[in-house]
Amino acid sequence: MEIPLSYYLCLSVVLFVVGVAGVLTRRNAIVVFMCIELMLNSVNLTLIAFSSFLGSITGQALVFFAMAVAAAEAAVGLAIVIAIYRNKRTVDIDKINILKW
Amino acid sequence: MEIAGIGILSWITFLPVVGMVVVLMLPKEKKDWLRWTALVVAALQVVLGAFLFMRFDRSLAGINTESGMQFLEKFSWIDVRSVSWFGRLHIEYFLGIDGISVVMVLLTALISFIAVISSWNIEKSLKGYFALFLLLDTGMMGVFVSLDFFLFYVFWEVMLLPMYFLIGVWGGPRREYAAIKFFLYTLLGSVLMLLAMIALYFSVNVYIDPAGGLHSLAEAARGMGQGWEKIYTFNMLAMMDPGNFVPGSLLAGVDTSMRYLAYGALFIAFAIKVPIFPFHTWLPDAHVEAPTPISVILAGVLLKMGTYGLLRISFPIFPDAMRHFAWELALLGVISMVYGALVAMAQTDFKKLIAYSSVSHMGIVVLGMSSMNTQGLTGAVFQMFNHGTITAMLFLIVGVIYDRAHTRGLNEFGGLMNQMPRYAGAMTVAFFAALGLPGLSGFISEMFSLLGAFQTFQTLTIIGAVTIVLTAGYMLWVLQRVFLGPLPEKWKDLTDMNGRETFMLATLGIIVIFFGIYPAPILNLMNSSLNTLAALLQHGAPAAMTSGM
Amino acid sequence: MSDHLLNDLSLFAPETAITLTLVAAILADLIFRRTPLVVAALVLAGFVVTGLLLLGQTGVNASIFTGMIAVDSFAVFFKTIVVLAGILVVVFSMESGELNSPGRKLGEYYALLCAAALGMMLMAGASNLLMMYIAIELSSLSSYLLSGYTREAPDSSEASLKYLIYGAVSSGLMLYGISLMYGLSGSLDLRAINRALPQVLSGGGAASFTLLIAGVLALAGFGYKISAVPFHFWTPDVYEGAPITITAFLSVASKAGGFAMMIRFFKVTFIDAGAVALPAGTWATLQGFHWVDLVAILAVLSMTIGNLVAVWQNNLKRLLAYSSIAHAGYMLTGVVVLSNQGLAAIMVYFGVYLFMNLGAFYCVMLIADKTGSEDIDEYKGIGGRSPFLAVALAVFLVSLTGLPPTAGFIGKLYLFAALINSGWTWLAIVAALNSVIALYYYVRVFRNMFLRTEEPSSPGITLSWLQNAALVVLLVPTLLLGLYFTPLVQLAQASVRLFGTP
Repeated sequence: MEIPLSYYLCLSVVLFVVGVAGVLTRRNAIVVFMCIELMLNSVNLTLIAFSSFLGSITGQALVFFAMAVAAAEAAVGLAIVIAIYRNKRTVDIDKINILKW
Repeated sequence: MEIAGIGILSWITFLPVVGMVVVLMLPKEKKDWLRWTALVVAALQVVLGAFLFMRFDRSLAGINTESGMQFLEKFSWIDVRSVSWFGRLHIEYFLGIDGISVVMVLLTALISFIAVISSWNIEKSLKGYFALFLLLDTGMMGVFVSLDFFLFYVFWEVMLLPMYFLIGVWGGPRREYAAIKFFLYTLLGSVLMLLAMIALYFSVNVYIDPAGGLHSLAEAARGMGQGWEKIYTFNMLAMMDPGNFVPGSLLAGVDTSMRYLAYGALFIAFAIKVPIFPFHTWLPDAHVEAPTPISVILAGVLLKMGTYGLLRISFPIFPDAMRHFAWELALLGVISMVYGALVAMAQTDFKKLIAYSSVSHMGIVVLGMSSMNTQGLTGAVFQMFNHGTITAMLFLIVGVIYDRAHTRGLNEFGGLMNQMPRYAGAMTVAFFAALGLPGLSGFISEMFSLLGAFQTFQTLTIIGAVTIVLTAGYMLWVLQRVFLGPLPEKWKDLTDMNGRETFMLATLGIIVIFFGIYPAPILNLMNSSLNTLAALLQHGAPAAMTSGM
Repeated sequence: MSDHLLNDLSLFAPETAITLTLVAAILADLIFRRTPLVVAALVLAGFVVTGLLLLGQTGVNASIFTGMIAVDSFAVFFKTIVVLAGILVVVFSMESGELNSPGRKLGEYYALLCAAALGMMLMAGASNLLMMYIAIELSSLSSYLLSGYTREAPDSSEASLKYLIYGAVSSGLMLYGISLMYGLSGSLDLRAINRALPQVLSGGGAASFTLLIAGVLALAGFGYKISAVPFHFWTPDVYEGAPITITAFLSVASKAGGFAMMIRFFKVTFIDAGAVALPAGTWATLQGFHWVDLVAILAVLSMTIGNLVAVWQNNLKRLLAYSSIAHAGYMLTGVVVLSNQGLAAIMVYFGVYLFMNLGAFYCVMLIADKTGSEDIDEYKGIGGRSPFLAVALAVFLVSLTGLPPTAGFIGKLYLFAALINSGWTWLAIVAALNSVIALYYYVRVFRNMFLRTEEPSSPGITLSWLQNAALVVLLVPTLLLGLYFTPLVQLAQASVRLFGTP
């Protein structure tokens, strides 16, 4: 029995929403990055599902690029978090608040 | 009419810019050089103005025909060739004057000259002062000579920034507030004007021939020349021809709501400048805080730009909307008259009183304009000139006393008649002219305005006429408070006017007296133009006007 | 095939040049560690060469790398804006006291600047969703690092972190939109999606609703790049915290890339019918939803919120950040029109915005290097101490307000004209009133510079000949284009052609 496309899509929507909710509510910068990764991975899931459903390869190509970009983003993000930690000894987003309004 | 290959109107407009460049190159320690540079420029402007006055053809009407305009200068300025989806953009450097503008050009030259003399005792960063002053001069002159709306708008805005700094840097204690208020009000008006201008641009079509000449649609219908191209235009004269409006465009037709809206936008832009009640609140602040020469410029020339804009742009382009709102316009004029007079009466600050009297006197101009007949229009334009000279005198008079006493409180003075006899003489002439005493120029223009308006709006004019009594009341009361009664001890050592001040006030005083007795030289200048304008306002555009375009 | 590829590569020459510059900058940094000016000069030369190569591409209209990138006059125009901004920012960086503090290595800085510029140039040309995503990420990743480059300054690294979080979330949203669009149309190529649209729209309510969601999600990505409200929250923080040179670069180049990509995306995907004729007004209404109104609302919000919040700012850099949000709003009104006239208006606006905005930031940088502060209150009396610098800043701010006879007026004139001509009068009125609000906060700077008296002890700011020359280079177009704008307008009108559209 084949799993219908909508199952994949629903799962990826759920993952995506969990990711967005995490970004909005979490206060630890590292956890925020993890939630962003979750968002990107849900997109990857959608793309692969569509790609296989449509029998087209381009979606999978995009997934590879998205994964590479996500890795780069994580590297840059962690570097910045370390820079912040050296300055402020914290990674709590609520305490990173010199700039406002 | 060219000097060194450049038209006389360009000379009179851009001489101050030349002066500005010279001023910027002079070292700032040479204060006298700076002053004399500005004075020479202003004097040359007066000479050119006198030349214009002599060579001006009194029989030509102008208003909406290019053939009726004089001292024309017309060059292609911006010319962006057309692409398939966007027509050719053609903006002209188009200068010319008719009976309305020549009066304003003369007034501008005269008042600028007086204001330069009045600036003689300014010491603070003189270089910047005269540079900005001369830039302001160019802006004012440019507004009165340009016949292309785009050019008009550029000049109109060029004047804003110098004025902001002249009030803001050289002004009184609350100068920052006054300067920003002036700037914001005027900019609010001018963005509305910008929108109306763009809407007009997209509504008016003309044909352009390869040589750059414009031809109205009617003319094209009679026979097209070789290589004519249909374009939108900023040319004011083309906008005044109802035949040029593209059918179905935003402002086409007669008495449409879009036309009323555009007329309203232009009206607010100009009304803020005049200022007409309820857009007047920037004026007292700006006047009180500005240094004397800038008050003179502000009252003498800048306020006229508002009424000039109404006469030059709003009325001839939107005669239908003008007729529709004529009563409301007259009403606002009357409110300005009465309100300005009543508030002036309550002032104890000399300069503020003059500022409110300006609101009142400009109300007379508005009432005269709204009459749509030749008397009313003549009164309005002549009142613009007279208000320029008389109010300039009044502000100079305030300046004279403020320089000596360092106060403008009317109640602190008294008994100065014997202490300062020359001053008393000049002030009496100015005040009597302002309250409209027969024999002085103010009387003639006020009478013309009221006579004209009475034919159109009887009740309103009668209410407005009450203002004359009010004006007489507060003006005489000022004279009484300053000159009569006992002389307070602290003013015992006030000196009378020096030669420079006497020269300024005497020049203006002679003009006020001369035109009070013999107004014909000025009235002749504008007569045929105003006849044409009145006919246009009453009957819409005459068909013949399209010829010569 | 190889002929094809060679031809494509020759059309890719500007991007190749900037990539080589990037590599050269990294290598040069290894050799000349002690003299950052060598690397700067090298990168400057690289940008100039790239600009010259771009000049050679005028009038080209081609699609390269199997439809990934379009090389058309529209893309070339925006790439030129990016490269010009790059040249000026390199010059600024050579002079910046903030960057050239002792002990800081600038090799990576210049290399990252090249990478960001490359990303923005690709954004201008990308005509495939995959390419768009990579281009956005390339420019974003470099920008995150650049904005945190002075990492010992706490506000700089904080700016960088905020930028990264907002950027990652909005690119995630956009990527989700891309995936939905791919699922609906089966392709990532914009024109293929355009061709598949009628089929998608005929697929019933669910399909076109999904398309709508996909479009809105993509809009979030673009809105973040051009910093339009409500995707603007990063802008003030990043602009304030980042080094001024980077703020200047982001405010012009990043916005240019974002606008170019956004316009291409909406225009090619939703409007240009291509092979299959779409029903008229598809852009206007998609499943009963008014796209145009949505963009118009974003434009109004960006202008109004940007301007109103700017009124309360005391830090000039932050004030300029809000003003750049407002300017994004003005430019979005051109997207609302989305006719050729609207696009030309946006391009004219960018042509003048490049000079006036970079000029304003440059003045802020010169003043901050001397006084150590970007606070408007510290600007008191600068007009008396260094008149040329103060007058230059005043001219740039007047131009940003949009008063004649400066170039900014021409930009506004063209936008308003496009709006009025297409019947968006109310939007034109809102935009015009907004420029009055804008005047209010710019005037506060004039007031402090010229109207307030100086503190007696503060010394004047003396500029080197290079700094004076750079100011003049920025001032001349700002004033000249206000009085004679024919060349710029003609260039913009000639550049409106998107690949494959008339």
